Amino acid sequence: MGEKRDIIIGIDLGTTNSLVAMADEAGPRLIAGDAESDDVIVPSVVGFDETGAMQTIGTSARAHAIERPTTTVHSIKRLMGRGFADVEQEIAALPYRVEKRDAATDRDMAEVVIGARSFTPPEVSALILRHLKQRAEKHFGHPVSRAVITVPAQFDDAQRQATRDAGQIAGLEVVRIVNEPTAAALAYGLDRKEDATIAVYDLGGGTFDISILRLEDGVFEVLATNGDTHLGGDDFDNALIALFAEEIRDQFGVEITSPTIKQQLRTLSENIKKRLSDRDEAQIEIAIGNDKVYRKTITRNAFEQMIAPFVIRTLDACSRAMKTASLTPGDIDQVVLVGGSTRVPYVRKRVAEVFNTKPYTALNPEHVVGLGAGVQASILSGIERDVLLLDVTPLSLGIETLGGAMGKLIAANVKIPCQASETFTTFKDGQTNIKINVLQGERELAKDCRSLGVFELGGVPPMPAGLPKISVTFLIDQNGILNVSAKEQRSGKAASIQIIPSHGLTRDEVKRMEQEAITHAREDMAAHHLIDVRTTLAFDLNKVESMLHRHSSQFDETEIEDFRQRIAELRTFAQSCDDPTKINERREAFNHSTLPLAERAMTAALSGSVATDDGDNIQAPPSN
Amino acid sequence: MDERAISLPVKCLSCNEQLTTPIVCDGCHTLYPVPQSADFFDLLSIPRTFALDSESLSRAYRSIARQIHPDTFGGDSIEARNLSTRLSAQINEAFATLRDPVKRAAYILEIAGGPSAIEVREVPGTLLGEVMMLREEIEQAQKSGDEAAMEKHRETITTRREDTLRLIADRADALWEASDEDKKAFRVLLNSIKYFDNLLAELQADPLAAGKDH
Ligand SMILES: [Zn+2]
Repeated sequence: MGEKRDIIIGIDLGTTNSLVAMADEAGPRLIAGDAESDDVIVPSVVGFDETGAMQTIGTSARAHAIERPTTTVHSIKRLMGRGFADVEQEIAALPYRVEKRDAATDRDMAEVVIGARSFTPPEVSALILRHLKQRAEKHFGHPVSRAVITVPAQFDDAQRQATRDAGQIAGLEVVRIVNEPTAAALAYGLDRKEDATIAVYDLGGGTFDISILRLEDGVFEVLATNGDTHLGGDDFDNALIALFAEEIRDQFGVEITSPTIKQQLRTLSENIKKRLSDRDEAQIEIAIGNDKVYRKTITRNAFEQMIAPFVIRTLDACSRAMKTASLTPGDIDQVVLVGGSTRVPYVRKRVAEVFNTKPYTALNPEHVVGLGAGVQASILSGIERDVLLLDVTPLSLGIETLGGAMGKLIAANVKIPCQASETFTTFKDGQTNIKINVLQGERELAKDCRSLGVFELGGVPPMPAGLPKISVTFLIDQNGILNVSAKEQRSGKAASIQIIPSHGLTRDEVKRMEQEAITHAREDMAAHHLIDVRTTLAFDLNKVESMLHRHSSQFDETEIEDFRQRIAELRTFAQSCDDPTKINERREAFNHSTLPLAERAMTAALSGSVATDDGDNIQAPPSN
Repeated sequence: MDERAISLPVKCLSCNEQLTTPIVCDGCHTLYPVPQSADFFDLLSIPRTFALDSESLSRAYRSIARQIHPDTFGGDSIEARNLSTRLSAQINEAFATLRDPVKRAAYILEIAGGPSAIEVREVPGTLLGEVMMLREEIEQAQKSGDEAAMEKHRETITTRREDTLRLIADRADALWEASDEDKKAFRVLLNSIKYFDNLLAELQADPLAAGKDH
């Protein structure tokens, strides 16, 4: 402890929006894109071109979502660490292509397909992370290599691993995974000295978390967490979209299939949700082709009835969390709201009812998790020494027992780090391998729980069945990530463990993707560079052309003809050559040869023989 | 109260400071693996007694958690970080066990050399008949949706559980010098708590609890 370390950044990698934070002695701050703008939010949207080359990220990518629905990837977080079968329903609502990953294993993963390229969810998330990393690097003026990343509290091991993999692919060592509601509590409680019990109600785009914490002597102790990884503000939008689609079908007999109209409906629904937060009604109008226009007025009351079932599910989770913590509403001192959907007045009203206290709204619900990630970064880098976070595991961990039951080893809501040991033996004489199916979830049967993967214990000494005793330790670390170790009890030797993740990437795959990401970034950058070089050349050529035209009296016919011909040649060359260096060389040579022309034109202009106009005033060419 | 001495490096091997807990040095933050002889009370540096006050237990836990949590070893060697993770898991288990009076009593019985729940499965003589009767009545009340009867059962069972826990509390700190017969009787009392807990769980069966994973 104590020595000065590299900087650690804090990242809120959200379904809809992402943020990057830093922290120093002055406390946590969110980092904006540039000095002039205070815009700290980066929409979690990646824009590709038709070939699958990454083009834009964030606000600019989101702006193109309607025109380019099939090459604009949003909500990738919903696919992180999940199987294709798990997300088939969600995929139906996504305008871009998602397919089952063709892997030579029995792993079940989804991938996004754009043009000739395909991306696993961690690879897409890595593009967003790289963007945030670069934003921070620009701010600091030096490279950044370590980060804290937040995840929904209800994320299982596979989803956490996928997040860590995304970091590695982006060139970031993820030094800590922190639960989003816990991060929010850190941001909330940072400057508060008094002891308190806090409930964090976190309704994100796609996930809902409720965490109850006790803040005492600077220690943030999570007492209970509950939630739903399939419940969020997107459900409010989807309810509106479903209503519109149904009415359009009834009124016009038209089925909404076009990705563009789907995306338009989504954007409209998001806007309606926002408008109904401070108004009693909102209208929409959408052209659905053939001069048909669908119009609709939605009242706040109707909207509230539509979203009530979802809100009630969140309230049930709140009650369960209080029960786990053995608390009643009267014990909760403060309710902190997180996530854009908590701006909906109906949500606030119902939350106030269930906790019997008015929620705290002074912190921006879209910034608070990012700020908390910054606080955790400052704890890890030793800047903040008075604060400590003690979190819990959201899900029970166990193994599949004979007969397909879930044998629980670690219960949900247990403080992490935590560990449990179990002894395994063989069923056949001479058996040297033991396979263990590791599960997470609250259900009784293995098939209803999430399989984290099959752990294969190797190097078991060949003995009669039942004699070997392999002690396996399951340790959930402070990130909520499982680490497994095994020992043969007789020999005391560590047994080897090979993990075959059910829905995740292997270490080798992550390493390969990290390399590929750099290569792709270079390729994509090279592609952009080529476009820039061509643009610069076109700009220069146009400039000379217009000079020749305007000052034609200063040059003789053959000179002009010679230049026209060289300009035409260069234009053809630029289109056929894809080496930016060669194009630049030719451009520079050409520009050099035009210097005498420019001088003559300038002299003539100064001597007053020719009137200049603003047309060839010096302009900065596009940078490259 | 048992006065066994804690046998472990009494002085820090790195800075020679007196150790106040067996697993971490207050002065230089050097971590030590849990000694074989140390129990959960040693880990949290608290007196080995059932009569713990929950405030001071929490304070002891927080103070040690603060010193050994992996977040405070971010810049140290991988060995130190791994050790801090393992130690944190161990003190978390210690805290979870000692915080809960039933688990605490069972733990004291275990380290006092009493029989385990597998070795002695008996419950007090009249309990089985009592539980069977209660279970039938609860089922009846559930079937007919008789909320008042359910509430009455809840109260009865809670009181029975509290009474038993009081007996347990009275005897726990005498376990160190207790005879095998008394230790066995203590296990029998502990076993009966499970029956009350099962009955209470049946009464509070929360249909939502099972629907957590969608
Ligand atoms: Zn020391």
